[in-house]
Amino acid sequence: MATRTLTGNSWLSILNSKKDLLWLMTWIAGLGMLWIWDALFLNAPAFARLQTAFLNSLFTGAMVVLFSLALGWFVGVSLHLLENSKSKVGFAVISFITDILRSIPQIIAVLIGYIILTVLLYQGIIRSSFVQLVWIAGTIAVAVFLEVADTIRHRIDYFRTLDFVDAMLCCGIKERRIINIEILWKNSRSHLLHKLIAIFGVSIFLQCSIDFIISVGLSTDVSLINFPTTLGNLLANVDSKQDILALSNLFTEPGYLSVIFVRHLQGLSAAFCIVFSLLCIYMIANGYVRRHKLA
Amino acid sequence: MNGLKYNIRIASEGRELVAIDEFRLAKSAINVLLGESGIGKSLISLAIAGLLDPDELNVKINGKSYTAYLRSREAIDIRRSGFFVFQEPSSHLNPLSTLRTQLREGSLTDAPDEERILRKLWQDSALSDVESILDVYPKPYRPSGGEKQRILAAMAFKKMAASAAHARESLFIFDEPTGNLDNNLRNEFLDLLIENFRNQEATIVLITHDYSIISRFVSTYSAVSKNILYRELLLEHGKLRLRDFLPGEYLSWMEKRNKAIHTVKKTETILRLYPHVKVFGRTLSISRDIEGRKHEPLVIRKGAVTYLKAPSGAGKTTIVKIMMGLIKPEKMSMELGSEVYTEETNRNVWAQNVWGKRMTMVFQHADESLNQNSKVKSVFSGLPIAGLMNEQKIVNSISELFEEEPSCGFLETKVKYLSGGQKQRLNLLRSLILHTDILILDEPLNGLDFARVAKVIAMIETKLKSGIGVLVISHNEEVFDTLVAQEDVYYLHHTGVESR
Amino acid sequence: MIDLSSILHKENSSLWTRLLIHGAGIVLMAVIFWIFISAVEISRIESKKSDREIQKYLDLSKIDFGNPLDRALFRESLDVFYNGQTHRNDSLLTAIDNLRQRQFSDPAYKTGGNHDGLTWSMAGKLSGMYLQFLAIYGIVLVIIYLLAQRIAVYRFIKMKQHRESYLTQAFELINSIHADRIGSTWWNAFGKLGFLFLKALLKGMLLMLLFSPAYVIAYSVKTTIDTSSILFMILLGIISNGVLILTANKFFTFLVGESKKGYVQTAVAKNLHASYEWDAPEGIPPRTLLKIKHGFRSHVFQPIFFNARFQFIPALKEHASFLITGLIIIEMALNIQGHFCYELLQQILYRQYDIAAFIIFGIFLTVKVTEIAIDVWEHKEKRKYGY
Repeated sequence: MATRTLTGNSWLSILNSKKDLLWLMTWIAGLGMLWIWDALFLNAPAFARLQTAFLNSLFTGAMVVLFSLALGWFVGVSLHLLENSKSKVGFAVISFITDILRSIPQIIAVLIGYIILTVLLYQGIIRSSFVQLVWIAGTIAVAVFLEVADTIRHRIDYFRTLDFVDAMLCCGIKERRIINIEILWKNSRSHLLHKLIAIFGVSIFLQCSIDFIISVGLSTDVSLINFPTTLGNLLANVDSKQDILALSNLFTEPGYLSVIFVRHLQGLSAAFCIVFSLLCIYMIANGYVRRHKLA
Repeated sequence: MNGLKYNIRIASEGRELVAIDEFRLAKSAINVLLGESGIGKSLISLAIAGLLDPDELNVKINGKSYTAYLRSREAIDIRRSGFFVFQEPSSHLNPLSTLRTQLREGSLTDAPDEERILRKLWQDSALSDVESILDVYPKPYRPSGGEKQRILAAMAFKKMAASAAHARESLFIFDEPTGNLDNNLRNEFLDLLIENFRNQEATIVLITHDYSIISRFVSTYSAVSKNILYRELLLEHGKLRLRDFLPGEYLSWMEKRNKAIHTVKKTETILRLYPHVKVFGRTLSISRDIEGRKHEPLVIRKGAVTYLKAPSGAGKTTIVKIMMGLIKPEKMSMELGSEVYTEETNRNVWAQNVWGKRMTMVFQHADESLNQNSKVKSVFSGLPIAGLMNEQKIVNSISELFEEEPSCGFLETKVKYLSGGQKQRLNLLRSLILHTDILILDEPLNGLDFARVAKVIAMIETKLKSGIGVLVISHNEEVFDTLVAQEDVYYLHHTGVESR
Repeated sequence: MIDLSSILHKENSSLWTRLLIHGAGIVLMAVIFWIFISAVEISRIESKKSDREIQKYLDLSKIDFGNPLDRALFRESLDVFYNGQTHRNDSLLTAIDNLRQRQFSDPAYKTGGNHDGLTWSMAGKLSGMYLQFLAIYGIVLVIIYLLAQRIAVYRFIKMKQHRESYLTQAFELINSIHADRIGSTWWNAFGKLGFLFLKALLKGMLLMLLFSPAYVIAYSVKTTIDTSSILFMILLGIISNGVLILTANKFFTFLVGESKKGYVQTAVAKNLHASYEWDAPEGIPPRTLLKIKHGFRSHVFQPIFFNARFQFIPALKEHASFLITGLIIIEMALNIQGHFCYELLQQILYRQYDIAAFIIFGIFLTVKVTEIAIDVWEHKEKRKYGY
């Protein structure tokens, strides 16, 4: 097997060195091919539901990223400033709370958020789908924002071990400028972006999982039909579950392969969207780390 | 004397890092390689020693790919019989292995003379003292930077002893081996180097910024002076070139400086630091005598340079950080003009009154002190005088302080693309333009070539005329002793460790 | 004086202070849960008491509260007996309607629904489920830890062997096909291309499998395999939800980071073996993937591996927490009766929030115990190396 490394400026070596972009294109291409296939073979209402579900999941993921960034930045920087302040009480309290939050599995935190959402829906306080999606995004963000906060703290701590911070302080540059602009904006954008890509993937995973889990219902008064369509609750739909169950027919009837991708398209498409997206997001994050030499 | 010649090209992601048409080394000689920091001395040496990663860098030596070079007889001999002592000892020792294990693994397993080498490097200490260090796992502060550097040097000397039979094919490279050592230890190291060289006549490359080594070599090792060659790597018209450096250049400059008369003028005291400072469970004391018999406050005067001396690891950087309010001590007292600062002084007071206003400090590592991802002009953003600094003023300041006009586009260049010397000058400039009462310089000559050293000394002398008080920490005693009056020289001692 | 910030800045704090923080967290959460459970219990008792009072009216045989006429007569009777207490009478009627509604729709009133709350027998039953959950978690965690290291080491060695990606190999094969229009090499190249495509497809499918959420895998094989068996749960816990791949990736990241550090250069300068080829004289024999701790003597990879492993120990906490998330998803999504996390879902549905809180506390305790165990392990390793 050849073991030499490809050099030169060919498009292939460019793609090899920018694997994150390669996988982004793969993701788009894969979803594009799925869209075409479904447009041809999936019935119109299911196709419309699938598109809505995908867009809602994507929207929620994007909102999670924004909320996590805001919360994580605020908590990370606050912890640093409180640690250096004279009174350590604020630092002690926030550290203690974040420590406890870290010990609550993400899915439990999201489940609690969904329980509260169910109550709000039941009481008619929340009606609009948009608000529901924002609530769901907020709940997931609360479960994952600590990863952003930790990244921020690690970056600040790393620069504090160098002369970086002290040298700028000695020149009269304000500490909040050093932290927010010099360290985080100018020197940590790549690290934060990588973390946010990972969070986007985690949010898709948590969303889909919790929607699937609560398909049995958290309440007799509120069920999946009350929630906006997402990939998870589309997959939890009885029809989709039947489609996934049909996959096990392949073990006993390999010939079924010729019809499964036409007959059981809703469930398989939803599952493919979820799994393929998770895989591609992971590969994009990995490629990004390699390209920016973050590891 | 035979020589080695290399044409070297090193690039990363399409960007050329080093390109030199002729890099010469004299065989069976000590090649002292000088040049400013970041110019490529270490990179070139690593390339020749076969220690660069072909996956990370695109390297060509004598027109051949690096993989082909690594497979060549020459490279194999260098790796088999030679050694490389790296610049930064902390990161070049395995934190999960004792120093003893690391000193005896690989090709050093059966290498002789370990005891002799260690005793020499530890100034003939009792073997038990040295043994106690060997059983530790290297951590950030234990053993000290100087001790770690000596361990790496010991590895090289052991390898030298082990590969005596292949001395002619071997290449030993020492990259800044004395950076963490005080002058006494540095001299012990040089003694051992010369002694081993006399026995084996291996090819040695000694990379250093410490020009005072020249004085040591000339005064103490004249017998081998014909085997010691001085070369300087410099950038001329955008091209890297290796030139022969004449020791006379440095020695005559030092002679002129030694002859200059320093008239001691009594000027106003700007800062007074009382002599006992408690920090990290120990007491640091200041005196004017080297033995530390009589403790006196450290005084910085207007228009004068105060020089603080101490052995490596004694706490010089710690004490100046305390003076700057960057480290909170357990006990200290300092008068800055009419204001008193103690261990109780709030950080906000330092920020509002001192930093960038009354005092400023230039740290030794420009790479760490500057934001590598900033453009040159952005280095001045956020300063207390940022509103007064436009691009033209920045250009004027660079020209004025360093007597050279910056090139077009210089201000738009990212700091990480500047040379080491340019970074160091930018590091200095950022503090100098603040026009504070006191300027603290931590190893200001680090990483500078001889021409720049002379310019920085001239710059300090010019600034003194404006009334600024300067506090210097530097192991370049030979240079700074010519700048500082004896009564402005202080010594730092640590006197006892308190249990926490 | 106690330096609070250094206590709480976990990187630097001693083991005892970290244990103290963990302990304080457990105590605080225990108190919160106890208050919550007590409040729910009190509310249930009040509610039962009130229900008993209301039930008396529902038990009246002559009144059918579903009949509007009967309701109107009852309301008028109340106004006669409790003259002037309109608000009280309205509230009573509303309470009767609520009770009727709940008896109709609330799962807690259905057969099999538990409305006794957290009793000792329930706690005992849950404890059994919890132990089973812990056992599965422990087995999966250990297997993932061991497998992830080996996968990461294998990936690292492959990276160092500079094997070209499938895309690059395919491109070169296509080029050779393009160049060699006729001849036997043409078919050879096509064959290799096909084989390459198959390998890439299989690798892609394996990755898809490892990234699939557990419920997707389970439902795909539900009709063929008993997906509620413990063995299947363990297998699912290992291969699904991306846990294995993410843990391996983390370890791989540490290996790559360590391989760039200065001590590796020093090791090379000391002529330790630096080849990563399988079975080369100074390379790495494949069997070292089995005996990973002792397989790399005299090789530069040994310090890389041990340093990466040392760095990896504290990072294991977040992966353990994610693994617990995965196991919770498995039990809930697959509706596995008699399992701890599925019971949580059931109790939420039955509105037995005190039992749900008890289960959540158990899960919280699992994470905390894992964190404590990893902190102790980290401390022991640090002591070994003089930290």
